[in-house]
Amino acid sequence: MQRRTFIQALAAAGTLGSLPLAASRSLADSSTNSSFPLSVDQLPPLEGDLTLYLGRGEGGLYENVLEAIRKRNPKLNLQIRRGSTAALANSIVAEAKAGVRRADVFWAVDSGAIGLVSDSGLAQPLPKDLTSQLKTGFQYPEWAPVTGRIRTLPYNTDRLTEAQIPDSVMALADSDLSIGWAPAYASFQSFVTAMRLLEGEKATADWLRGISKNATQYAGELGVVMAVERGEVDLGFANHYYTLRLKSGKPDAKVDLAFTKNDAGCLVNASGILALSEGDLPVNFIRYLMTREVQSYLATEAYEIPLVDGVTLPEGLPALETVSPPKVDLTQLADLRPTLKLMRSVGVL
Amino acid sequence: MTRWPKSYPLALLIALLALVPVGVLIGLASDTAELFDAHNLKVLTNTLLLMVFTVFGSVLIGVPLALITAYVQMPWRKLWLVILAAPLAMPSYIGAFTLYAAFGPGGEIANLMGVPTPSVNGLAGATLVMTLYSYPFVMLTTRASLLSLDTSLVNAARTLGMSMSACLWRVVLPRAVTGIAAGSSLVALYTLSDFGTPAIMRLDTFTRVIFVEYNAFGLSQAAMLSLQLLVIVGLVLFLESRVKSNHEKPGRHLSLWPGFWQKLSMLLVVMPITLLAIVLPLLVFGVWLLREGTGGFEFSYAWNSTYASMLAALFAVILAVPVAHAAIAGRAGRWMERVTYLGFGVPGIVMGTALVYIGLQLPFLYQTLALLVIAYILRFLPLAVGSVRSTAEGLDPSLVKAARLLGASPREAFQRITLPLSLRGMVAGAALVFLEAMRELPATLMLGPTGFETLATYLWRVYEAGYFGRAAIPGLLLVLMSALGLALMLSGERRAEFDVTEDRHR
Repeated sequence: MQRRTFIQALAAAGTLGSLPLAASRSLADSSTNSSFPLSVDQLPPLEGDLTLYLGRGEGGLYENVLEAIRKRNPKLNLQIRRGSTAALANSIVAEAKAGVRRADVFWAVDSGAIGLVSDSGLAQPLPKDLTSQLKTGFQYPEWAPVTGRIRTLPYNTDRLTEAQIPDSVMALADSDLSIGWAPAYASFQSFVTAMRLLEGEKATADWLRGISKNATQYAGELGVVMAVERGEVDLGFANHYYTLRLKSGKPDAKVDLAFTKNDAGCLVNASGILALSEGDLPVNFIRYLMTREVQSYLATEAYEIPLVDGVTLPEGLPALETVSPPKVDLTQLADLRPTLKLMRSVGVL
Repeated sequence: MTRWPKSYPLALLIALLALVPVGVLIGLASDTAELFDAHNLKVLTNTLLLMVFTVFGSVLIGVPLALITAYVQMPWRKLWLVILAAPLAMPSYIGAFTLYAAFGPGGEIANLMGVPTPSVNGLAGATLVMTLYSYPFVMLTTRASLLSLDTSLVNAARTLGMSMSACLWRVVLPRAVTGIAAGSSLVALYTLSDFGTPAIMRLDTFTRVIFVEYNAFGLSQAAMLSLQLLVIVGLVLFLESRVKSNHEKPGRHLSLWPGFWQKLSMLLVVMPITLLAIVLPLLVFGVWLLREGTGGFEFSYAWNSTYASMLAALFAVILAVPVAHAAIAGRAGRWMERVTYLGFGVPGIVMGTALVYIGLQLPFLYQTLALLVIAYILRFLPLAVGSVRSTAEGLDPSLVKAARLLGASPREAFQRITLPLSLRGMVAGAALVFLEAMRELPATLMLGPTGFETLATYLWRVYEAGYFGRAAIPGLLLVLMSALGLALMLSGERRAEFDVTEDRHR
């Protein structure tokens, strides 16, 4: 889907014919559940001043969504502040302490930052009809997950076949495969937190020790995927979309995705949004992100997993039903300090 | 009671202002219990090694380049200077990432040309990148002090039979030692506070630990670690202050006229540096641009960057003058000057958060351009102070006394003697602040007006998302705007040079 057609589609969004292909397909497929997902046509127009703190540096796609919302709502004066998720969360808390509120809505890349802000009692409760649009397991009273990402094992297709990869993440610690990882990366730390909650401190510490024997460290998970593709390591730990994005720019890339089963290795984490100020405008703004159009767009273009019930996945994306993620309360993943302490005591951080 | 030098009250005020963020850090750190654990020792070693190697590398490259740009007469001298200073405009995380992506097995160079290259990573890789992006600190400060040296000593040495190279080594460089030391300490502080390069090169340094804590919502622990880092910063500042300055009369400076082969060999030495630091990253971006296409960029970002950085450069130099003069006037002033350096050694993201807390105490300033400029000044004031001081130290106080004796008011003496003679240092300082502000990221993100997009913040956005092709145009523009700004300031420098020589020979 091209950026311009998407913007036009969302701005006009009248007939089915003007909808981009992916979106119209998803509309057809969702006929079983007629109420969700909503189309932007069914939403009230947005009017007034709204300041969004956007906790990620997404170059283009999120911008396109926001620009389309702006185009469709000419009376909306949307101001955007970008920054790293942790820095914005810290700013929001500092602002609240000083009795200043600048942000109406906070859209964060990981649920940990959402946890920090909502633990400080700054998040406004969301109406039930909004949160009930989300898939079960992703409904929270004070924030709404926007899109999901799956923990995956990208592997080098020259050096490995899928059959050689164990389907339990814990078993990887006993294998002699060379592994790329990014222990300093937030998503990896959330994954270790999930493992800590599911398997306990000791098992997690043993696992970290086992992996670190065969592991090479990278700064971020894009770096991990690039290293896997170059053949520097056999396989790595990374969010699913890095691999899909790399393959879209380089179709002959020597990398593919493997999944573990029902453990922290295939955790589904989410980016999330919460309202900081009262009133309808922030909530209605969040509703726009839950629409069919936006969810399908982020899935097709950014390879993120739509979390609203009834949005169909485009091709190439692992369907949530085919992976068997563990059951974890995502806001609990904000409890990062014990994880860091553990990782440090094992010497991997 | 002895009378305080005139510059003291102002310098004291500025020093106190510079201490405020440190005070906020102490406040933030007071929540934490953990002080220092054994793991940090390894981190500390890495940090110190990286710092020492980078300073060594920067001196190795920066000092010869300072000699060339100050003394050697060749066509397009200013252009060479601008090109050689341009690495300061490139955010080091961008440089580190492109070098990492270009070299090594499966890197872009191997892909395109089939030539296997060694990987760039670890301590060696981090040192290479940090050196490439911080040697201009040494080059610019050293050049400024070289230009304030009188050539007659060299002439005397040459007349007595000393060779030119021995002369540069034994007569010229020892007198430029304050400039070299000032540049080296800036490099050291920059290395201590930079996060991106060690992270990409997979080197575990202090900043990386701080960054990990910060992102795990351990703000107080990050603040505590930053305070520990400040201890190293203090040590660097102490070491630099041990370097004795010399006082001599300013005069006409040395001019060298190289032959063809000498020019060629200089070019061969300079080329790889510029190729690695500027051309290669832009080429890699270019490759990605062709592969992925561009989009979403607006030219107003370039204007925002330039405008804010120009303001920061201007005000930083104005504030640097009293601080630099206080530093020369006495021991207490020297302390005030040292204090202003602390901000430069704190990692940007922690400093940015401290400034958010300060900004929130002044709600009318919070999230305005003014606060952003103040943040730039607080972070980069030492760059201006260092340059202004090293040239001002070369000032002969008897010139001012003579002017006063001949009936000039203190004001006139300052305007006609002191100011023109220290203008060169001010210009160099302004240039440093300008370049550093152009590439500054964390404070720009956290403190700028909402929706205020600069080249650096745009580069960060596309880099974070992995859309590297889109970094090509802003990357090029960042270098270009910085070069333009630099050229503008250097034209100011030429006027200063002209004034001095004219006054002397009229």
